[in-house]
Amino acid sequence: MINEIFVILYGLAVIAFVAWNIKKGTFVIEPSKLIPSLIIVFVLLVVFLIFNGIPFDTAISVVGKIGAGGIMFAGVVPMIGAAVGLFRFGDEYGPNIFYARNHITGVIDTVASLVMIFGGLLIFRLDLVAVGFFFFVLIPFCGNALANAYYYSYQRRLQK
Amino acid sequence: MMDVALLTELADSVFFWGAFTFMIAVAIAGLGALRLALKGEAVTSLMGVSALTTAAGVSLYIIQIIFEVEFARDTAIALLVLGAVGTIIFARLFRMEEGE
Repeated sequence: MINEIFVILYGLAVIAFVAWNIKKGTFVIEPSKLIPSLIIVFVLLVVFLIFNGIPFDTAISVVGKIGAGGIMFAGVVPMIGAAVGLFRFGDEYGPNIFYARNHITGVIDTVASLVMIFGGLLIFRLDLVAVGFFFFVLIPFCGNALANAYYYSYQRRLQK
Repeated sequence: MMDVALLTELADSVFFWGAFTFMIAVAIAGLGALRLALKGEAVTSLMGVSALTTAAGVSLYIIQIIFEVEFARDTAIALLVLGAVGTIIFARLFRMEEGE
């Protein structure tokens, strides 16, 4: 029972924090302060568990899995937002809505690859990190190629 | 002295439900991408299919991690890598056919 309550509270807290960031339009806590703070909390939790008699590998695995779960909870909000955006922006907005959709699919790709990279780092799955990083490198080229193809085909249609 | 089994179970539970929730969110985004893929324009369809392969690849990778289905990882890697590379190639092709 305690597990389920902790999961619900933890998930809701992470989702609410990400939603608060998105609603504010900027970072609530600057990344230059947030990321070192999270790393310090990670290390302190591992040290706390070791001092309470937990073996080192189990302690780091437990904290890493809880962190990876938090990263996946954090990825939920942008994914749902992207889905709403894809359903919301129809053809009635004119031909330039393509670029907004391109941005939205870029958000889907970026969130997916970042979750793969950081989730993989925290659960020690380097194959996941490698694929995520390769995908992360390819995303800008994909978006640029799509926008380029649409731009030139649209100019062509205008000339016709 | 803390209970190792209890802690491990808690961490597994958090990871499972985090991954499962993220998989549902990715599936919803995949539905949006599917809607985009069924639009009339060729480049728009290509963009939708690209996002759909991303959603499917990430979902399959998560399935491999939380349910330990080994073949899902190979399919996920193929979808993620070939989906991105194929999108770039087809976009170049569309540009050359229609623009130049």
